[in-house]
Amino acid sequence: MVTYIFRRILQSILVLLVVGLVAFAMFTFIGDPIDNMLGQERTQEDIDRLRGVLGLDQPFVVQYVKFVISAMQGNFGVSYEQGRPVAQILAERAPATLELAAVSALFALSLGVVLGVYTAIHRKGFVANLVLTLSLIGVSLPTFLIGILLIYLFSVQLDWLPSFGRGETVDLGGWTTGFLTSSGMRALILPSITLGLYQMTLIMRLVRSEMMEVMRQDYIRFARARGLSERAITFRHALKNTMVPVITVTGLQLGSLIAFAIITETVFQWPGMGLLFINAIKFVDIPVMAAYLMLISVMFVGINLIVDLLYVSIDPRLRT
Amino acid sequence: MLRLTACTAALLILSGAAFAEKFSWAGTTDPQTMDPHAVNSAPVLGFLNNVYEGLVRRGKDMAVEPALAASWEAIDGGAGWRFTLREGVKFHDGSDFTAEDVLFSYERGSSEEADVRSWFAPVSEVKVVDDYTIDFLTSAPNPLFPDSIANFMIMDSGWAEANNTTRPDKEAGNYATLNANGTGAFMLANRQPGLTTTLTPFGGWWDTAEHNITEATFTPIENPATSVAALLSGDVDMINPVPIQDADRVDQRDGTKVIRGIEARVIMLGFGHDHDTLKYTSDAGDPNPFLDVRVREAVAKAVNVDAILQTIMRGSAESVSQLVSPAMRGYSTAKADRPAYDVEGAKALLAEAGYADGFSFGLKCPNDRYLNDEAVCQAVTSMLAQIGITAELDAMPVQNYWPELREDNFDMYLLGWSPGTFDHEHPIRFLVSTPNEEKKLGSWNFGGFSNARVDELLPAIQSEIDETKRQAMIDEVTEIYQSEHAYVTMYVQPLVWGTRDNIELTQRPDNFFLLRWVTVN
Repeated sequence: MVTYIFRRILQSILVLLVVGLVAFAMFTFIGDPIDNMLGQERTQEDIDRLRGVLGLDQPFVVQYVKFVISAMQGNFGVSYEQGRPVAQILAERAPATLELAAVSALFALSLGVVLGVYTAIHRKGFVANLVLTLSLIGVSLPTFLIGILLIYLFSVQLDWLPSFGRGETVDLGGWTTGFLTSSGMRALILPSITLGLYQMTLIMRLVRSEMMEVMRQDYIRFARARGLSERAITFRHALKNTMVPVITVTGLQLGSLIAFAIITETVFQWPGMGLLFINAIKFVDIPVMAAYLMLISVMFVGINLIVDLLYVSIDPRLRT
Repeated sequence: MLRLTACTAALLILSGAAFAEKFSWAGTTDPQTMDPHAVNSAPVLGFLNNVYEGLVRRGKDMAVEPALAASWEAIDGGAGWRFTLREGVKFHDGSDFTAEDVLFSYERGSSEEADVRSWFAPVSEVKVVDDYTIDFLTSAPNPLFPDSIANFMIMDSGWAEANNTTRPDKEAGNYATLNANGTGAFMLANRQPGLTTTLTPFGGWWDTAEHNITEATFTPIENPATSVAALLSGDVDMINPVPIQDADRVDQRDGTKVIRGIEARVIMLGFGHDHDTLKYTSDAGDPNPFLDVRVREAVAKAVNVDAILQTIMRGSAESVSQLVSPAMRGYSTAKADRPAYDVEGAKALLAEAGYADGFSFGLKCPNDRYLNDEAVCQAVTSMLAQIGITAELDAMPVQNYWPELREDNFDMYLLGWSPGTFDHEHPIRFLVSTPNEEKKLGSWNFGGFSNARVDELLPAIQSEIDETKRQAMIDEVTEIYQSEHAYVTMYVQPLVWGTRDNIELTQRPDNFFLLRWVTVN
C-alpha cells in the first residue's frame, strides 16, 4: 500500500515536470514579450538589455530549470505585464474563479438532478422531450456564443442583469467575495449558467439513465406494492441510489470547471484566473502563463491522485 | 458581523450613487503601470495624462499649450529652452511643485531604466535657475523640443524619494507602479491592475475644472462584443474602440452614440529595400523585384485605397499620400494626392520592369494590431492579383509579428505609424532614415530604405528654427520618399468611440481620452 502511494506520487511529480517542460517549449512560439514591454521609440540596445534582464536570451530548457528551482522555493517570478509577483496576482484572482466554479457546480448539480429525475419519470412527456432537445442544442453551441446570447437577452434587451464583471465585492481578509452584495450575486447569474450549462446537461443525462435503470429494479416494484407514495419512491429510494456516480462525476468535473472557465471569463470580463491567463497569452507574460499552467496541472494531477488512492482503499484487489 | 459590514458597504455605495456624477469607461488594454516614465505606450501615457501633467500639454486641437510651465522661450543662439514654471501648483499629496521636481523627473525619465528616455536624446544638460525657472540645454538647436515633451510627466521628488522609487522599474515594479502623485486634474483613488482603476477629482488642481465628474472608473474589457454589450446595457458610459462593424448599430440605438474621428496613425505597406532576393513562395531566391522603383510604383497604383475604405473601414477612414496625416505639423502640401488607382498603368510599369508575367512573394501582416488589419491585407492580396503578382499572405498575432520583421522575414509587410511628436520629422526619423543603431535612427525602418539626401536633411530639419526653411526641407524629403515609393501609404486609421447619449467628451487624434473634458448630463 505504502509503496503504491509512493509510486503514484512520484508519477504525479513526473507528469507535472513534463507538463512544465512542454509548456516552456511552447512559449517560444507564442511570440516575444519585449515589444509589449518597450515603446515605439525603443532601440536595439534597449531590446538586448531587457532580454538579458529577463533571461530571454537563454534556451528554453535553461529558463525552465530556473523556473522550477525558484518555484520549489515558492517564488513564481514577477509578471512582465504588471511588474508584481505572480503568486500575489494569482491569489487575488483565485476567489473570482473559485466562486464562479462553485456556483456553476451548484447550478449544474441541482438543476441537473431535478431535470434528470423529471425526464426519467415522464419519459414520453412533451416537456421532458423539449428539455432533452433544448439541452442538446445548449451543449452543441460553443460557450462564448451562449454567453453572448445571454448577455444580449438579459443585459442589453431586458436590462435585468449586468453585462460584465463581478459587481461589488467585499474583502474578507484577502478573499474577495461577491456573495455578500446584491450586485455581486446578480453578476454571478449569467456566467454561472454559461459555465455550468454543459455540466448540467451531463448530470441530467446521467441521472436520467441511472434513474431509468433503478426504476426497473425489484425493490422499486416492492415499494410500489407496499403502497408507498410515488414521491417517496422517487426521491427516497430511487434517487438516493443514483447519486453515487453523479457525485463522482461532479467532483471530477469541478476541476474542469475551474480550468475551462477561461472562455466564460473572457466573455463576461470575469476577473478570475482564466481571464488573467488569456491576457498573459496576449502579452506573452511567461511567468504568469507558467504559474497558471502549473497550478491547473497540479489540480488535475491532485484530483486524479486522490481518486486513485480512494479506489485502492475501496478495492482490496489493488492492495498488493 | 461580516454581514453587517457588507450591508454598510452596500448602503454606502447606494447612497453615493444617488447624487454623484459617476463615470465609467472601458478600453481594450489596461495601462500596464501607473509609472509615467516606465513604459512609452499610448494606453499608459493616455491614461496617466489624467493624473500627471507635463510642462506643456496638448489642447483639444492638439496644439501645445502651457501647463506646469506658464511660458517658455528659446535661449539665445539655440542653446536650449528656458521654462518659467507656474507658481502655486500642488501635488496630490499637498507638496509644492518647484523646479527641483522637474529636474528630478528629467533625471528619472532619462535614466537607463526609463522607456521614455528617447525624448531626451537632444538634451545635453538641465539647469535649475531658481525655484520657478529651469533651462533645458540641447546639443543642437531644437525648435521642436517643447512639442516633443507634452507627455513628459512631472513627479514629486520628495514623494519618490520617500517611497524609494527614484528610478522606474519595469521588470520588478516598485511603489510608483501602483501609486501615483501628480499634479493633474484627477487623483488615483484605487488601482487594481487588470481589473479596475478609479480616479477622483483633485480639489487643489491649479486649472479650472471643465468636467463634472465625481468619480471615474476604468475597466479593461478585452472582448469587443462584451464591451459593446456593456455600453448598450448602460453598464459603462463610454467604450474605445467600437468595432467598425458594430458602429452603425451603436449609433442608431436610443441612448448611445458613436463619435468618429481620424487617428494620427498612417497604415502603409513596406518593402525589403535591402533584400537582394525574394524570401518566400516558389520564387524564393529570385532577385527581389521590389528593388525596382517601377515595381513599387505599380504596387502603389494597384492598391485601390478607396475600395478598402468603403468596404473594410465602412467609410470611416481617409486615404493619405504621406507618412503623416494632414492634421500633423510638417505635412507637405506640395504633393498631397496618392498615386491614382490604375490597373493598366500598373501593368505597364511591371512590363517595363520586365515582370510582365508577374511573380509571387510573401506578404506579412499582423492580425490583431490595427483595425481590421488582416482584412486589409487580404484585400491588398486580391488587388495585386489583378496586376498579375501573387502575394502569399501570412497573418499572425502582433507578439509574433515584430520579431518576424526584426528578423527580416518578409518580402512586403504592413505597418502602422503614429507620430509621437505629431510632426512629420518623427516618421522620417524612424521609418525613412537609414537604420543606424548608434545614432538611434531608422529603428522601425525594417526594409532598410536608404537615401543619402534624406540622411543629410534630417539633422538639418531637426535643428532648423525657421518654419519656412524647415518646411522646404520636409517637402524635399517627402518628394524623395514619394517618388522612390519607399512605402505605399494607404490611409489614416479611423477612431470610433461609443458613448451614452448623456455624455459629452472630446476626441483627440492621438486617441487619448481625457477626463477633464467629460461632462455627464
